Amino acid sequence: MEEDLAASHSRVRSGISVRLLGGGTEPDPRFTLANERTFLAWIRTSLALLAGGVAVEAFMADFFGPELRKTIAVLLLVLSLSIGGGSFVRWLNVERSMRRKTPLPLPLIAPILAVAAVFVATVMVVFVIVRPS
Amino acid sequence: MSPQRNTPSHGDSGLQPERTDLAWGRTTLSLVVAAATFLRWMPHHGWFVGTLVAAATLTAVAIEVNRKHRLHRSIQGINQETMYPDIASTAAVSAAVVTLAALGTYVVLFLPIHG
Repeated sequence: MEEDLAASHSRVRSGISVRLLGGGTEPDPRFTLANERTFLAWIRTSLALLAGGVAVEAFMADFFGPELRKTIAVLLLVLSLSIGGGSFVRWLNVERSMRRKTPLPLPLIAPILAVAAVFVATVMVVFVIVRPS
Repeated sequence: MSPQRNTPSHGDSGLQPERTDLAWGRTTLSLVVAAATFLRWMPHHGWFVGTLVAAATLTAVAIEVNRKHRLHRSIQGINQETMYPDIASTAAVSAAVVTLAALGTYVVLFLPIHG
């Protein structure tokens, strides 16, 4: 077991991962696992936005005009892309900060998600109010 | 994944390995849901969407295949009080989701709806 762990350590520690993680010492493994779960929660948020964007394009043909449908779908998909990529950056920044025992960075993806979600919801509300019945 | 006979035990009262394993499982399910919604595009946007269905499904399968190894690794990490972060898995999953979202945007913007 210990040999396996040592072998896998030397494998993953080589090359790019060392440079990405920087120096410092290994944090408590519970914190590493907590960071991983938080990353996965962000990834699932991104996947939900992805499925939402696909669903708007696929199911809303009778409700929205083609231009509005395309706009909302693209907004949700671009948001999904930003959150999906940003979640790795967030995970890496937290991991680096834990290794250096510095205060954890604030999540940039949280305000991005909040602002974009409010924007998409506002577009929908305005559309529902002004659309001809 | 249900506990296997050969799954090593650990003394973590916070059940970190199990919770992390389940978080990966939920991510697999989310990918399957994404693949299923992409299927709905196929009649309208054509065969190209099939690559998106395949990519989402393959990512889900890759996570599922590595799940036992990942669970054992985290139990080992708890037991030895040290664990190197799984940078390859996080980078790969993040890249897969970014690719899916980028290709999805391409489909909406550039592949005309037919039928």
